[in-house]
Amino acid sequence: MVELLNPILWHSIVAAATFFVLPTLGEIYAERSGILNLGIEGMVIAGAAGSYAIAYQTQDILLGVLFGMFIGGLLATIHAILTITFNRNQVVSGIGLTILGTGLSGLLGDAVIGKALKGIDSTPIPILNDIPTIGEVFFDQNIFVYLSFILAPILWFILYKTRIGILIRSVGENPSASMNQGVNVRLIRYLCVIFGGMMAGLGGAYLSLGWLNFWTDGMTQGRGWIVIALVVVALWNPLGAFIGSYLFGMFDVLQFSFQHEAIPFIFPTGIPPSVLKMMPPVSTILFLAIWGIILSQQKVKSIVGAPSALAKPFED
Amino acid sequence: MSNMKNSRVLLICVVLVGVVLLSGCTTTSSGKIKAGFIYVGPIGDYGWTNAHDEGRTIVEDKYDWLETVYIESVAEDTASVVAAADTLVEVEQCDVIFTTSFGFMDGTLAAAEKYPDVLFFHCSGFMRDVNVGNYFADFYQLYYLNGLMAGALSPSGELGYVGAFPIPEVIRHINAFTLGARAVNATATVDVRWIYSWYDPTLATNAADALVADGVDMLAFTEDSPAVIQAAEKYDDVYAFSHYSPMQYYGNDSTISGQLVHWDILYDEILSKVNDGTYNNTNLADVDYLWFLKEDAVELGGLFGVPINTIFEDDLKAVDVSGETAYALVMRRLDEMDGPTVTFDPFTGPIKAQNGTIMFADGVQATIPDLFAFMDWFVEGVIGSPS
Repeated sequence: MVELLNPILWHSIVAAATFFVLPTLGEIYAERSGILNLGIEGMVIAGAAGSYAIAYQTQDILLGVLFGMFIGGLLATIHAILTITFNRNQVVSGIGLTILGTGLSGLLGDAVIGKALKGIDSTPIPILNDIPTIGEVFFDQNIFVYLSFILAPILWFILYKTRIGILIRSVGENPSASMNQGVNVRLIRYLCVIFGGMMAGLGGAYLSLGWLNFWTDGMTQGRGWIVIALVVVALWNPLGAFIGSYLFGMFDVLQFSFQHEAIPFIFPTGIPPSVLKMMPPVSTILFLAIWGIILSQQKVKSIVGAPSALAKPFED
Repeated sequence: MSNMKNSRVLLICVVLVGVVLLSGCTTTSSGKIKAGFIYVGPIGDYGWTNAHDEGRTIVEDKYDWLETVYIESVAEDTASVVAAADTLVEVEQCDVIFTTSFGFMDGTLAAAEKYPDVLFFHCSGFMRDVNVGNYFADFYQLYYLNGLMAGALSPSGELGYVGAFPIPEVIRHINAFTLGARAVNATATVDVRWIYSWYDPTLATNAADALVADGVDMLAFTEDSPAVIQAAEKYDDVYAFSHYSPMQYYGNDSTISGQLVHWDILYDEILSKVNDGTYNNTNLADVDYLWFLKEDAVELGGLFGVPINTIFEDDLKAVDVSGETAYALVMRRLDEMDGPTVTFDPFTGPIKAQNGTIMFADGVQATIPDLFAFMDWFVEGVIGSPS
């Protein structure tokens, strides 16, 4: 029988989930401002390669992380220019940037394949770390993980409790009305999209410097795409970013714990790995379907649904 | 107007195709051999494809008469392999093509039929033709040696294996690893988790974590990145065995040994024989290289030239295995398999399957087909399902 309360397992789940939380937080801001960014995968992988390459060359981890965020932000700026200034199709631009980012990652990371670097160690938080199980699972992690714990509530607060947050949400709901009120719609959208790209780059830096501690070509295996779905699961709420990310991280790790488990009559000799491997995407699709049904109620949609102007070109 | 536009587009296309074809022609000079490589992964995977590409560059640097090109990340369906071969033959004018994945087998045969003048060599497969030969360098002897070390150094006797796919190659390696471990510790077990991918670093990390959570303290794996090594490096008392590339760099404190390949040895052998005319497009049906330690196609260790990470030597010398140290046992077995005459094979009976059935009776040695085609069962001591 699987020991589901094993702290090593949950420590691993938190580590896996953080990779999704960071870019999801960024994409929530971009989408809240009305811009869909399908280039996240490209920004994550370019950030992973760029941050590892710079950290290795300079032997300065912080510089590497900052460079990863810079690369993510730079790619996002291209998306912003195309979709905000020139009103180009957001889907096409985003997919193009994923291709560009993947190619860029090969270039940036080429020199550091097979080159080992001491990544970021975990820093146990005093006192909190001593709480049985919980401490080991959540408070014996590295700085990236703590950053996700801190950033989510801060970003939630900014979005829902400050003037800036109101402006962001208003340009995503009704850019024309916002503009008539004298709001600089483009500026806000630019900032949100670039912030989203930087968070994707940070997620990439976490992958190569905080979690796996190496760079190899194509190491995300397309996982950055999941972020697009996780934003919907999060209902465009920064605190919700944890729901989908942790669900996904949980299935990603637990599928291996359940490989020896048998289910009477259905899988008497054990659950086939192929079935377990389907669980993360299937659970996300289920979540999206349930959310879709709930959100189809107009009343609910107006409260927690997608920003009304999401992915719509805006001509002023 | 639109007709004019179309014809202009057509003209541009024709010119472009012409340029491509001409540029292909100009790169080929007579008296040279041009070899094309079709890779399944990116050359930057630091595993399987990376190792093939190392081999390619070594032979290209060695011989003036040799020129090489490669296409990476080719899908394992027939159409993709044939399309890659089209480029290598028609554009690059290759004389020899190496296809470096088991899944390229059908595609290789189809391409060989399409281009009867070209010599094809397929890695890790079993189907041949007049212009299709086979080659492979196998690790099972090394996995056995890794198993000896894992069994000797594991306090719990619980070892783990992150496996790619349940196919004979991976099952054979898991079995060899288990036989080695149980030769030292008769109650050792090897817990297998499948990730169903040749290359997926985050999944390999998750699988390694799940194994450690279940009490495993030694990790071996088949996956083309240093993920499992780095996972072991995170834990204080978990150790790992490097796979395909010199991964000890990534975890000097946790990598005990591993398996290394020298594809250059095989590429050198094959291409030299193509160059001197021994091999041509009519006589490859019987060419089937299966090379091991004896031929120096593979090497024990997590770094080239370092069979056992030196920080573990004393620990291995402190373990007694029926009168000799574990270190001496590993070195003796390595010596026995390294040739010139091989006097030991890990798959020599008595060998029992998971359910206790005797698969090879006392003294009976497994044949190549037993190991390479029919091994779909686990030996005693493996936890997990071979499917």
